[in-house]
Amino acid sequence: MLRASPALVTVLGASAGLTAGGCRPGPPPVDALGAIDVSGIRGEIVGASAGLGHRLRGGDPLLGQPPTEVHDVPVVIAGGGIAGLSAGWKLARSGYDDFVLLELESTPGGNARWGQNAVSAYPWGAHYLPLPTGEATAVRELLDEMGLVVGHDADGHPRYDERHLCHTPQERLYTDDGWQPGISLAAVARPEDAGDIAAFETQIEHFRAARGADGRKAFALPMAYSSTDPSFRALDGLSMRAFMDREGWWSERLRWYVDYCCRDDYGCTLDTTSAWAGWHYFCARDDEDDVLTWPEGNGRLVRHLADAQHPQIRTRQLVYRVHASAAREQGVEIDVLDAARETTVRYRAERLIFALPRFLAPHLITGYERTRSAGFTYSPWLVANLTVDRLPRDVAWDNVLYHSPSLGYVVATHQNLRMATDASVLTYYLPLTHADPNVARQELLATPWQDWTARILADLSLAHPGIETWVRRVDIMQWGHAMVRPTPGFLWSEARQRAADSYGAVTFAHSDMSGLSLFEEAQYRGVVAAEDWLRERGHPFTSSLAT
Amino acid sequence: MSESAPSADPSTVPRVHEADAASGVDARLSRPLMISVFAIATCGLIYELLAGTIASYLLGDSVTQFSTIIGAYLFAMGVGSYLSGFVTKDLLRVFIRIEILVGLIGGLSSPVLFLAYSELNAFRFVLYGWVGLTGVLVGLEIPLLLRILKDVLPFRDLVSQVLALDYLGALAASLVFPLWLVPQLGLMRSSFVFGVLNILVAIWTCHLFRHLLKPRLLLTVQAYAVLALLLAGTWFSSELMTFSEQRLYQDRVVMARSSPYQRLVVTRGGGETRLFLDGNLQFSTLDEYRYHEALVHPGLAAVANPRRVLVLGGGDGLAVREVLRDPRVESVTLVDLDPLMTEIFRDHDELSRLNQRALRSDKLTVVNADAFVWLERRRLEGNLEGFDFIVIDFPDPRSYSLGKLYTTTFYRRLEPHLAPDAIVAIQSTSPLFARRAFWCIVETIRSVGFTVRPYHAAVPSFGEWGFVLAARQPITLADQYPPGLRFLDAISVRAMFDFPEDMKALPVEINQLNNQVLVRYHAEGWDHAAAGS
Repeated sequence: MLRASPALVTVLGASAGLTAGGCRPGPPPVDALGAIDVSGIRGEIVGASAGLGHRLRGGDPLLGQPPTEVHDVPVVIAGGGIAGLSAGWKLARSGYDDFVLLELESTPGGNARWGQNAVSAYPWGAHYLPLPTGEATAVRELLDEMGLVVGHDADGHPRYDERHLCHTPQERLYTDDGWQPGISLAAVARPEDAGDIAAFETQIEHFRAARGADGRKAFALPMAYSSTDPSFRALDGLSMRAFMDREGWWSERLRWYVDYCCRDDYGCTLDTTSAWAGWHYFCARDDEDDVLTWPEGNGRLVRHLADAQHPQIRTRQLVYRVHASAAREQGVEIDVLDAARETTVRYRAERLIFALPRFLAPHLITGYERTRSAGFTYSPWLVANLTVDRLPRDVAWDNVLYHSPSLGYVVATHQNLRMATDASVLTYYLPLTHADPNVARQELLATPWQDWTARILADLSLAHPGIETWVRRVDIMQWGHAMVRPTPGFLWSEARQRAADSYGAVTFAHSDMSGLSLFEEAQYRGVVAAEDWLRERGHPFTSSLAT
Repeated sequence: MSESAPSADPSTVPRVHEADAASGVDARLSRPLMISVFAIATCGLIYELLAGTIASYLLGDSVTQFSTIIGAYLFAMGVGSYLSGFVTKDLLRVFIRIEILVGLIGGLSSPVLFLAYSELNAFRFVLYGWVGLTGVLVGLEIPLLLRILKDVLPFRDLVSQVLALDYLGALAASLVFPLWLVPQLGLMRSSFVFGVLNILVAIWTCHLFRHLLKPRLLLTVQAYAVLALLLAGTWFSSELMTFSEQRLYQDRVVMARSSPYQRLVVTRGGGETRLFLDGNLQFSTLDEYRYHEALVHPGLAAVANPRRVLVLGGGDGLAVREVLRDPRVESVTLVDLDPLMTEIFRDHDELSRLNQRALRSDKLTVVNADAFVWLERRRLEGNLEGFDFIVIDFPDPRSYSLGKLYTTTFYRRLEPHLAPDAIVAIQSTSPLFARRAFWCIVETIRSVGFTVRPYHAAVPSFGEWGFVLAARQPITLADQYPPGLRFLDAISVRAMFDFPEDMKALPVEINQLNNQVLVRYHAEGWDHAAAGS
């Protein structure tokens, strides 16, 4: 029985996606709006500070003048998502405090940010972490440090605190036959799908065990540890759909399942996910499907990472210009709008760890050529938090709808040990995969709260008729550039592989450098950047990374 | 579609019958009557579906119930059609009177059937009688209408229109019943609402033909009286439903209360009092002493010096009553989620007599809290004066939320609250009916480092029941038990620790929050037991 491999449900880095291929619909159409009365429901679009970001483009006069203050600091980290926080965590844990971390929002966390209301804490994006692979040594170190490892079994594998492993019932799926437990091929498959599914499972086992001539796993996580064998990398040239066509796997339900997984982890469809990325999803993690989760999702990890570096974190800081040259010894100057004080600051640093998505680099870094960020595309996602008076009967943690462009919803209070829970918060994920990302992004941003709310409720009312009568609030986050897209050819393209190259005194740290928007990748890139600086500076440290 | 003058086709010109000639119905009014055909047909099928559903719900075996109900109903309609031939005058008045009767009989079908089930031995007699009566009345309607309309419509059109609308009404009913009525209104309210609809048709017909119905005061009064009755029924249907459900218990309901957590029902009959929580039997006074003595005394007597005792669950105070028999006990803390439970078993005269006023003891502190949360809070507050004896009397792991109370996480959370030589006694479902579930509880407790001693006792109301003693150290059973026990003594206790072949240990997985295997074992065990009985 195939049970989605480990990551089944996830979305670590951020959460956003797209469906294509004509095999699934887009978001519920606007004409569904009439059916749902949202007049009794409150809520708002909360935002990724797009407004602040747009001061960059808007020719703000403050940004035209020389900065008011100048500070000298050896290291600046730009961006407080998982990559930036992990860089700061590694520096601080190594006893190196001479850095500042600049975050645009009022709280750090990036895609793993979270919210809180009277009912519960809830995620705004990434909401779980699969148990780490052997090569994800930095993730293991972090979890151990958080006290989540309670012991080791006879084989030396860590045992994790079961309070934070996702409780049963973990998942359920709504199909034409109603709700059924689990999200797996077995749950959707009919007898005629058995042949394709068996072949698919055999392929998973094959790739899980596969090693290249260099002795490395075909698919490792972090992906930088994967084998360099051309035979594996060639998969990147195909889309997942092309791979399935080639194998003659036509089962509609198998394709639904694989497409769902691609949307879930990458915000991409069968057509826009490279086969290398698709198989990475199924084969990189060990055959264990436990995941760690918390009411605030990966916000729990963010809190721990941020605690290690509180004095260094500056929020509401907009980096608007980076003066750098190809010569590292000249250092780097970072001009920042301090929105908290409405003033501008120049940091003169020896090293900038640029932990922002790469598409911003040519806009911000003087002399950084646009061609170097070519090929980086990002999927837009909508995430909504629905505050509800009561939970549906037999609700699971993750509740997926077969006939839906969304990924369904997750219950924030699931890990609660109390007997009675009436009110709760449901986190609804919609990767906008139905159109080209630029088009979908426009639609995402242009659609008002009222219409999004009606669409979301229309979608969920498939499985929950009358849902509008027990939803109190709908708060919506629009993630314009939620996840880097592992489109065919991108992962092993020269542009992606050269993305790790530094630019003078600027080094880079972001999950998009891996082409996979996963916690493990973001953390890996952050730790690499930090260790690179510590090594260069001659500051003693113990590496968190596997060799 | 013609509804004007009679057609010229001689074959369709109705034969004028002496008795019917007086109907005097005007062609303009045939359309409203057609609408009432539709309404009548819908109501008729709804009553049939209600009877079938209620019979399946109460008696089980839905195939048999629906087949026999449909058969009986159709047959009764045939009888009604035949009887319509005996109506020779005042067709309109008879039709309206039958409408009122259908509204009354059909509208009352849910309450009557529910009450008949709980109050009378002859439920099937009432069921088929009521279905028959409804069927006869509904069967009378269409033939009478045909005769009323036969003067104003050509026979060909009349039959095609009336029958088409009749079948269309049936379709509407069959769709609206499962999709909207049962889920939204419930069985009780649906029945009243359609009764009201029937009466409104009657009142409307009365109004349309007011010129033909003189005098009509009696008819009008009857219609409005029935309407008032049915509207009251609609208004109070939730109360009626609750009342009827209470009556479903075998015995007289002494008390029925709802809390945010559960529905509590206490019944009495045949010399015993029983407590049901959400419909599940918790105890019967006939043999609860067996359960509570077996739960408490083997563990309590084995503790060297049990001064401080904790009871988790067991808000009925019966376990506390047993604990207080032991004079060595100085204080008891009772933690139960539901304040309603501890309140009624403390204050209600009859119920507090069952626990011998244990909940009013000076030694007792009652805490209404979630056990999981309370244990953690107490630990965080640093209040770690351990308990010498702990009784865990939670409901069976029937759901995932209850299953959490039997996980390794729960037992780990309990551990810091044990005094050095403490013993814990845990109710652990039936080792006979849910054998895997029982041994899963045993192994789960063992897996967190406790010494375990499983045992069992016969409780007739439940069957063979299982318990587990857990402690940090080996457990030695006592030779002495408090005076006044009705069930236990040192010899019988020793025998309880022996498991015969059909209850012996099986290989099981450990119950954890992230697998909750126990809930599955429990369901499999009890489903199997139910299927076998």
